[in-house]
Amino acid sequence: MQGSGEVNRNVIRAGFIGNPNCGKTTLFNACTGASLKVANWPGVTVEKKEGWTTWRGMEFHLTDLPGVYSLASYTMEEHVSKEFILSGAVDVVVDVADASSLERNLYLTLQLLELGKPVVLALNMMDIVRKRGMEIDLLRLSELLGIPCIAISARERMGLDLLLYAISRYEEYEKPALRAKRNSALLQLRDRQDGRNQRIRLSENRNRTAEEGWMSASLAGADYDLIEEMISQVVRRREKTQMPEPEQMIEKRAGKQQDLTDRIDRYLTGKWLGLPIFLAIMAMIFFLTFTVGGWLKGYFEMMLELLSEEAGILLDTWKVSPMLRSLIVEGIISGVGGILTFLPNIFILFLALACLEDSGYMARAAFVMDDLMSRVGLSGKAFLPLLLGFGCSVPAIMASRTLEHRKDRLKTILITPFMSCSARLPVYVLFSGMFFGKYAMAACFSMYLIGILAAVVSAKILFRLDHHGTDHMLLIELPKYQSPDAGSIMMYVREKIKDYLTKAGTVIFLASVVMWFLLNFGVEGYVTDMSRSFGAVMGKWIAPVFKPAGLGYWQIIVALISGIAAKEVVVSSCGLLFGIANITTGSGMAGFAHVLEEMGFGMPNAYALMTFCLLYVPCTAAIAAIRKETESGKITAAIVLFQTAAAWVVSVISYQVLNLCSDIFVWPLH
Amino acid sequence: MRLKEGKEHQIYEVTDMRLEPELERRMGALGLSPGTSIEIVNNQKKGAVIVKFRGVRFAFGTRIADQIHIKEAAGCREAAR
Repeated sequence: MQGSGEVNRNVIRAGFIGNPNCGKTTLFNACTGASLKVANWPGVTVEKKEGWTTWRGMEFHLTDLPGVYSLASYTMEEHVSKEFILSGAVDVVVDVADASSLERNLYLTLQLLELGKPVVLALNMMDIVRKRGMEIDLLRLSELLGIPCIAISARERMGLDLLLYAISRYEEYEKPALRAKRNSALLQLRDRQDGRNQRIRLSENRNRTAEEGWMSASLAGADYDLIEEMISQVVRRREKTQMPEPEQMIEKRAGKQQDLTDRIDRYLTGKWLGLPIFLAIMAMIFFLTFTVGGWLKGYFEMMLELLSEEAGILLDTWKVSPMLRSLIVEGIISGVGGILTFLPNIFILFLALACLEDSGYMARAAFVMDDLMSRVGLSGKAFLPLLLGFGCSVPAIMASRTLEHRKDRLKTILITPFMSCSARLPVYVLFSGMFFGKYAMAACFSMYLIGILAAVVSAKILFRLDHHGTDHMLLIELPKYQSPDAGSIMMYVREKIKDYLTKAGTVIFLASVVMWFLLNFGVEGYVTDMSRSFGAVMGKWIAPVFKPAGLGYWQIIVALISGIAAKEVVVSSCGLLFGIANITTGSGMAGFAHVLEEMGFGMPNAYALMTFCLLYVPCTAAIAAIRKETESGKITAAIVLFQTAAAWVVSVISYQVLNLCSDIFVWPLH
Repeated sequence: MRLKEGKEHQIYEVTDMRLEPELERRMGALGLSPGTSIEIVNNQKKGAVIVKFRGVRFAFGTRIADQIHIKEAAGCREAAR
């Protein structure tokens, strides 16, 4: 016990808080060496993240909290941040402020001071202030607030030593004398600003405890006047000493950066151009994913074929038993390796999404889509999780936290998995490549459109059913545009690639091995005839249900069940189920197509399969995320059932329609 | 007049906000309250509007934009393009 007490006394616990887009996570990454996702839109950090760093023999436990404008608990992020600070889990609060928007950032600072915790103000983006020809008098600001104010540049990793030094001295900042001095300074400011005597109100607050301080934090609601006065004392033009108007100091209207953002916005958020530009950007992302990604994928396939061949030869020389050879070559190399060939497509998709997020365009997409989203009872802000869903459903489901109302959150969580995530890409690429010839890319793209349509229709149905629908409202900050930072983007993409490789090495590896067992073992033990395996028994039992969708083949059913582990597994399972080595390569696909055609599985069946994969039960990771966010097993089960039912209905419709069309005319696919 | 009825690139002063108390507090935290000057950046669409106040741009949906009342600011000026 004593030992643990020792450790706690030696560790300084600091919580990083600040407005959205103030560079908080960048600073956290710079301090801890972590690689948390950084992007230029409000709501990137939705839950607190923790990290460690040491400096001059001292150990720091740092927590990155979600971006907030105040501590009023209006959103879930604000609630999380407020609760965390009040819980006593931090010794010192590091308030990260965007110096170029000092006025609004100081509002939060004043609220933090009311909580009675030691606060250190880290002023980020001072370079922008300097570029605007302004200067912030840090000494005066520090005097007024009674806390250390440190200029930092999170991107350039400047000022970090000084910041850690200031954090380490936190015990000195809440001495009563210092607090009294601060209150007196603030009091003088207020008197100066409006001439009204607020002395009684402030003196009332002077000696309050932290809890009482919080209760009176709403007092700061009227403090923008005070902040304006504070700004007029600390911000100066560099070339002249005259005081500019507060408004000019916060944001120099004629500043180049501002003009650029306004100029770009004139097109990107314009009445006529906004939506077409958004659609063009999305189309371009998918085009690059399929063309450039597909080109690179070819090289990965060659490598896989070579590896598979060499491994086979090596195992033969070692005279390994046929069962083990089958497990390694067909189960593991073909299963995991097949999924890895899609790495280039995944890389390009995430690279494009990262550029979109880092540039500041995401919030504009919310604005552009607000009109359309309001027709299905959601605000444009709910579109952001949907957009992220094209990458991966898990962070997308978590991003729904930024929505203010629970009902909106649930609705968004329900429809988010319909957005086609990158894990489904291998399924589309494989089946469209085999059955759609020159229209393969169009068939893939149509999956994204069907996903969006399914999301919209589901939301609309819920909107109609819900007679007491929440009055949705869009309220989102539009950050300044910035050229995407190569470092942030590479960090983001690297993490995504790492996740993908980890998934290939864990979930997909395990699923491949389990599938191999299910397909090679039956009631009689090891079976050479797969149709007598456990997998076949299970598949044959369910298959009749899927007959109307053209998917009544036991092998397809088993592949779909395996896809619940991760959607990519559908592809690797098909290789095992149909006995095709390296199914994702050119020769593998040709062999697979031949086998399927002999079974009577044609283009309509393939399209129905793609549609089913798009819409059915999300992967286990996504189900876990839904459970966590909804905090209800029942709701999670209902969502999973609804999605599977929707998948069945849509795949039946698509199969029947395409089948009917096939009877009438021949598709000119080649 | 309502915010939604304002002209683009024009600076106004907020006179009244008829939002529910929670949302009004939220607006207060963002620095928007009666007396604040606000610039309309984009009011082209039927729905949402983009505004700028205290140096930061925000997108407001119709539901919010309809409840914020504004008047032309004293010495009203065209915002620098």
